[in-house]
Amino acid sequence: MQLPLTYVLSFSALLFGIGLYGALTLQNAIRILMCIEIMLNAVNVNLIAFSRYLSPLQPAGQAFVIFVMTVAAAEVAVGLAIILMIARRRDTIDIDRMNLLKW
Amino acid sequence: MSAYTPLFIYVLFALLVPIVISLIATYVGPRSPEPAKYLPYESGYPTPPLMGRFSVKFYLIAMLFVVFDVEAVAFYPWAVSLKDLGPWGFYVMVPFLIVFILGDLYVWKKGGFEWQ
Amino acid sequence: MEFRLIAPELILAGLGLSLVTLGAVVKKNSRALAVVGVVGSLAALAVVLANFGLTQDLFSNQLRHDAYASFFKVVFLVILILLFTGSAQYVRDRRMPAGEFYALTTLATLGGFLMAGSLDLITIFLGLELLSIASYALAGLLKGDPRSQEASIKFFLVGALTTAVILFGISLLYGLAGTTSLTGIAAAVAGLSSAEFPLLAAAGLFLLAGLGVKIAAVPFHMWAPDTYDGAPTPVSAFLITASEAAAFAVLLRLFAVALPSLAERWQLILGLMALVTMTYGNVTAILQTRTKRMLAYSAIAQAGYVLVGLAVASPSGVSAVLYYVLVYALMTVGAFTVVLLLAGESLGEEIADFNGLSRRSPLVALMVTILMLSLIGIPPTAGFFGKLLLYRAAVDSGMVWLGLATVLNGVVSVPYYYRIVRNMYLEQGTTTAALTPTVPIAIVLILAVGGTLLLGIVPEPLARVVAAISLTP
Repeated sequence: MQLPLTYVLSFSALLFGIGLYGALTLQNAIRILMCIEIMLNAVNVNLIAFSRYLSPLQPAGQAFVIFVMTVAAAEVAVGLAIILMIARRRDTIDIDRMNLLKW
Repeated sequence: MSAYTPLFIYVLFALLVPIVISLIATYVGPRSPEPAKYLPYESGYPTPPLMGRFSVKFYLIAMLFVVFDVEAVAFYPWAVSLKDLGPWGFYVMVPFLIVFILGDLYVWKKGGFEWQ
Repeated sequence: MEFRLIAPELILAGLGLSLVTLGAVVKKNSRALAVVGVVGSLAALAVVLANFGLTQDLFSNQLRHDAYASFFKVVFLVILILLFTGSAQYVRDRRMPAGEFYALTTLATLGGFLMAGSLDLITIFLGLELLSIASYALAGLLKGDPRSQEASIKFFLVGALTTAVILFGISLLYGLAGTTSLTGIAAAVAGLSSAEFPLLAAAGLFLLAGLGVKIAAVPFHMWAPDTYDGAPTPVSAFLITASEAAAFAVLLRLFAVALPSLAERWQLILGLMALVTMTYGNVTAILQTRTKRMLAYSAIAQAGYVLVGLAVASPSGVSAVLYYVLVYALMTVGAFTVVLLLAGESLGEEIADFNGLSRRSPLVALMVTILMLSLIGIPPTAGFFGKLLLYRAAVDSGMVWLGLATVLNGVVSVPYYYRIVRNMYLEQGTTTAALTPTVPIAIVLILAVGGTLLLGIVPEPLARVVAAISLTP
């Protein structure tokens, strides 16, 4: 017996929703980064599920997931570097306090 | 038609979940703002400052580790299918390795691996 | 053959890697790095021009070499060469890490190459990320400057969120079509039943929202003024021109090649977006007092003009977009080079720093005037002809309201561009010492202003080139 595709897709939609909610409401930059990672994982679940259920012979979706994972790691590394740079200077990574630039 | 109703539900879900969560949080959550609530509590002992507990070096090492560790993911599918790819498949990985090693040397040169 | 066609990409990749290595080894001499960068980009430009007319799918359809991609590559390289030439002194004065700056800009340009030169979502995604990740780091390169840090973190958080949204759209498209190739998606989408339409629309909206952030279209523009204001000046110029041009290249390809069946719906959405974007950008720009912030809102408005061409999506709309993207790159790089020139004396951050510039250097003041006229769209400058093409494309395909909005917005934009000109000629500056541009900056200014004038006076040759470029494979 195979799990219906809908279940997997609902799961990934939930993940994406949770991540988006967190990314839009949280103030701590690291937490926002974690929420964005949750969203990316929702995408990965989607890609794997579509690849497995709809075109199992052409695993383009699975190849895509590897790219998404590696690129996400590069993105996180750059993001952490930026956050680290700011934490060293300001002792805070609360994005509500970053208000030097305003019109 | 009916075969695709799940997809409708799926889209609906994606929209509803964040909306519902924020509505619940706004209306159901009890509100009694109290400054003491925002203070850290540790069995009655005074709490030490959080920043400075971990050395910043850990973050740097963690960051470098994440990059080099996850980029290695690209090797797994390559290794599994190397037999089918033949010599061409082997050689296309060489530029990737060169970039990898250059990155390594760059971090080394910039002092990223030095603990002190 | 394949390697000849991707030679520019290989040159840029090699250039980026050698610049970062050289930067780590050679600590002092940042000018040498700029020279290496300019020579390498010139070589890439020569190869792109030599291959211009060729059309071919490469590497199992992961890349596509055609005139459309080549045109964007020329635009990217022109921007790169002008910026490398003009920013050497700024990099030295502000003690920016030179190797990293030149290498990251080169690699970001490579990302733009992949975005413009691919009909496959995987490659487009990789190009987009190469461009974006390099840009996050670039925006924060002035490590000691809190404004640069703030620009960088805001840009990063918005950009990373955008990546997730774009990817979600891509995953839905992949699920609908079972393939990541744009032509394959077009074929699959044409055969979809009406029950699947909502999912397709959702995928399209995710992608539109994500790419809308990248081009800083209203209502996805919040990050843009902060980032463009706080980032180092050459980086702001790069982001406003090359990064936005790359996003436009993808947006146009995506909607015109993969989703033509949605045409009438997205035309209206893009049209409204264009209208709101240009109006918002122009009106808000009037209120600004900081040069880069004013130019940032001006960039939002200009993105609105380009969106007009996207909304039309007729062949004439496509060629108008191509023409305007090139012209806009020249005008903007020119304007930012003047800011770089003033930055040499710690000026240029405020619009008031332009006061009395005509007495300090009549020639520079004249050049700025030409650039501002072109940004407004007054003949005989290239900005006028570019807007004319956009207007004509809109009217020809029945979107008269959009054409009129473009013209009216040109009028709305007069006050803030004119203010700079007025400050230069009529206001009294704090100093009257003569201002002499360094040789590299003079070269960039002459090329940018000369190009703006030339394309305005003799627009036909370029207009013929862009008219011959089509999107569909």
